[in-house]
This record gives sequence, C-alpha cells and structure tokens, in this order.
Amino acid sequence: MRRQFKDTVMGLSAGDDKLVMVLGDVSVYLFKEFQDKYPDRFYNMGICENTLISVSAGLASQGFYPFVHTINPFLTERSYEQIKLDMCYNRFGGNIVTCGASFDYAWDGATHQSYTDLAILRMLPDVEVIQPGSRKELDVLLRSQYDNGKVTYYRLSDKPHTIDLPVKFGRAEILKDCSGKVTVMTAGPILGNVFEACKDLQVNLVYFHTIKPIDKEIIEKFRNTDIVIIHDAFGLFEAVCETAGLSATYYGLPKDRFCDTYGTFEAIREDIGLDVISIKEMLRKKLL
Amino acid sequence: MMQPVFKDIRKDILRISKISGHGHIPTCFSVIEAIYAFYEAMKHDPANPSWDERDIFILSKGHAALAQYVVMSKFGYFDIKDVETFGSFKSVFGCHADRLKVRGVEASTGSLGHGIGLAVGMALAFKIQKSERRVVVIIGDGESNEGTVWEAIMVAVNLKLNNLKVVYDNNMSHRRGLQICNPGDRFRSFGAEVVEVNGHDVEALKSEYLARHDTLKVIIADTKKGFGCKTMIDNHYEWHRRSPCEQEYEILLRELDETTV
Repeated sequence: MRRQFKDTVMGLSAGDDKLVMVLGDVSVYLFKEFQDKYPDRFYNMGICENTLISVSAGLASQGFYPFVHTINPFLTERSYEQIKLDMCYNRFGGNIVTCGASFDYAWDGATHQSYTDLAILRMLPDVEVIQPGSRKELDVLLRSQYDNGKVTYYRLSDKPHTIDLPVKFGRAEILKDCSGKVTVMTAGPILGNVFEACKDLQVNLVYFHTIKPIDKEIIEKFRNTDIVIIHDAFGLFEAVCETAGLSATYYGLPKDRFCDTYGTFEAIREDIGLDVISIKEMLRKKLL
Repeated sequence: MMQPVFKDIRKDILRISKISGHGHIPTCFSVIEAIYAFYEAMKHDPANPSWDERDIFILSKGHAALAQYVVMSKFGYFDIKDVETFGSFKSVFGCHADRLKVRGVEASTGSLGHGIGLAVGMALAFKIQKSERRVVVIIGDGESNEGTVWEAIMVAVNLKLNNLKVVYDNNMSHRRGLQICNPGDRFRSFGAEVVEVNGHDVEALKSEYLARHDTLKVIIADTKKGFGCKTMIDNHYEWHRRSPCEQEYEILLRELDETTV
C-alpha cells in the first residue's frame, strides 16, 4: 500500500506544486523519485514526530498541502497534542499518513503496534479519519481529500485486502445483504479475513473505509439486526455506536491488555481470533 | 529610562488584569518590548492583517497573550476597550489567543513548545515560495524545558532557515524547575547563530530582527519578570498569575511612574 501512496502522490504532484512531503526518516528510499523531481518540496526531517506535525501545520498555514508520514504509533499517539492543537485547533489542515498498523510490525512487539489511532483521532473536531483497506481505496481517497484544507488521517497497512469495491469518501459499502438477523461491520485490510469467514454464513456484511464521518445511513438500514463489529483496532465500534439504540457488540482486540507477542502478523491475528476460522466460529455461535 | 509608551502598555495590562481577574502579569511585562519591536520594525498592516507580504509574529509562550493584545491595540489592530473583556465568557480575547477570533494573531498557542514548530513550518514555507517574508517567534526559558523546542531548533538549523528569528525570553522562569544554564552556549552548540541583548531595549531588538543572518538566529533576550514594578520583580512567583486588587493596583501604578529603569 505504501507503494500506492508513492504512486498516487507522484501523480498528484505533477499538477500541484503545493504538495510537500514531510518524512520522519521512513519511506525515504521509496520517495526517491519525488525527491529527485521536487527537491524543494521533499523533507526527510528526521525522527522528531512532534515537530513533523507542527512543521506540517506551519506549511499548511501558508497554503501548502503537506503529507506527513512515518510509523503509526509515533505519529499518532506520541504527537496527539500537536495534531490536536497545531493542526485541528489552528485549522491548519494537512494529510497525516501512517504505516504499520495494526500488526505489520508484529515481530517488533508492542512498541510498534498501533490500534488506538483511529479511536483517538476521530475524537478531534473536524478531522477526517480514513482506513483504506486496498490500494484502490487509498488511491481514490487520497485524490479526493488531500487538498480540501482539512486534517485528513490515512492509516496505511502493507497487508491490504484484494477485494475490488466502489470507493467514495464517507460512504460504506454493503457487500452482502441476505436479510440475515446478524450484520457484520468491518473496516480496512481485515476485510479479507472477514469476507472469507462470512461467505457461507447467513449474515449481512458492511464495509467501511471512512471511520469519520461514518456512514450513518447505512448503519440505519441494519438497525433491526444484531450488529457485530469485527475490527483489528478501536474506533469503528465507537463510531458505529454513535447511532443510538443499536444492538452492537465488538469482536477484535483483547480486552485491557497489550498484544505483546512477536512473530508474524498472521500469527497475531490468529492469537487474538481474527483469522478466518476464528471469525467464522464466533459468527456461527452468534447465529445459533 | 522606560519610554512613556511602555509605561502605558504596562498600565493597560495592570488595569485589564484588575478588571478581569486574569493575566500572567510578570511574564507579560518581560516580553512587551520584544513584541513591540516586531510590530514597529517588521512588515505588517493592521488594516489588512492577511496582507500576503507580511512578516509573521508568533507568541509561543502563549500565556503572555495580554501583552500581545495590548501591544497590537497600540498599532491599531483593535480598540483597547475591547480587550477589557479579556478572559470573559464570550470575549474574543482569551487568556491564550485564538487566531480564529483575534484579528492579526497568526497562531493559537497556549500549550508550551508548539509555536516554535509552527514557526519553523512557516519559515520553510516562505523558503519554498522564494519569498522574503520573515518569522519571529518568542519562546520562554521555562518553555524551553519542552523537548519540542530543541527538536524545532535542530530542524531549523538543518534547513538553514535564515528567515526565522527565535527570541528566547530569558526571564529566569526556568530557575524554579529544570534549569537551563548558559542558554546561548546551548543554542550555539545546536548550530544556531546567537546574540544576547537586553530584552527591554526595543532598539536593540529591532536591529536584531532586521539583521541578516546565514542560518537560524536565536536572540537571547535578557529580561525581568514584572519589569517596571519593583513589587513584582521581588515577588514574581507570588504574582505569577495573580491580578491586583484596587490597593495593589495603585501601588503598582506608582512604581511604574517612579521607575528609573
């Protein structure tokens, strides 16, 4: 997905000299083509995430469209106050693009995992929160939102799903409506596993790539079903539950503990029950 | 001797603080000349605050907002009478400035260690635009306990931002907590050009703002908290965020009138 990020940025920058890259010593080689072509608008600013955000806000204040990019937890959790004040409160919009979530860096342990980003960023006023699940979703949503003056958050993962869907900012997609009494709602790359698990089950399936603003219209359509939110992060469940009076439960991250194992990203998914078999089993029980 | 205009500004700050019950008076008094020097020396237009050739001023130590409001009113940005609503429920003049409410304020600050990073971004923007515009940001010595100040300094030096001037208000706030001894040496060791001036000498400050430099310049402004009022200089911890009662107000006004600094 990071390669798509670079390809889309290259495409956009050909016609827009207000686009500036601000990197935190991550994806530097990937953006070499941009650096060679636009040296005045490429800054590997170093490992100083708080300042990356503040500087990007300063650039935005003078009309630029910054893309500030590094590893997820360092940019979102460490720099939360900079995002809140320098970007949001000051209304100096920009594009915050992270990589690594939730478990792309599984082998690096809890310091490099990130699953609170969507939940904490959606609480900030007027922020757009996007979790593209595929390369296409990233491409479409980057193009449609990058220059609107708002703070837009893109959470990238290098483990995208490969399901081809129509993409429009703020709109969820119904992948399956079988009038089931259970509706599964999910977001981002985990759709790959969720889709597979739901295949032979009598459940409806709704997919979100935009966490904020959440598509309330589609949620309303399934109000009278048991909603199960399957997600490898916090944020989607809270966003769905903004619609009052739903019967909704969360399935995903373990309660109140770090995912402090190592290994592969698939191993962590299996450990916390987000592999296809575990999801299917959980839904089967739900349908009994 | 303190010029009448700076006595007037201090009197306005005291009066508004007395009326409102708000204000960090000692820290306001330490940066008055540094703020005034910007509006006197640099490019800006009170009639058109968004003039696209203006220089930028940012008060990173945002709790001195009252000083900025009063100085800006002297330059015609708004009526001082309006500033008397300072800190009240529907006032546009908060104890920390909101750029979307106060005309001419470039950045909303308050939490320390933020304004300097914004200033770096703005200075970089002007470099990309090949513009001659400049940025002046005032940071506090206490504020410089924040690691983000030093991150921003490193980035600014790395980018050779010679259109950025950081005024370090050396009013000895740091003494009570995490001390920063020899700040000039520290900034120099980070690669900045450093000058040390009397932070209450408006002419010296103006000349430093206008001077050309090759990379980031840090102006160590030696100042006194509560400058102009002996009571406050002697008891600035007690006065950190206190407002004067009527009797104290009269004493402080008298001290200002009689000051020999």
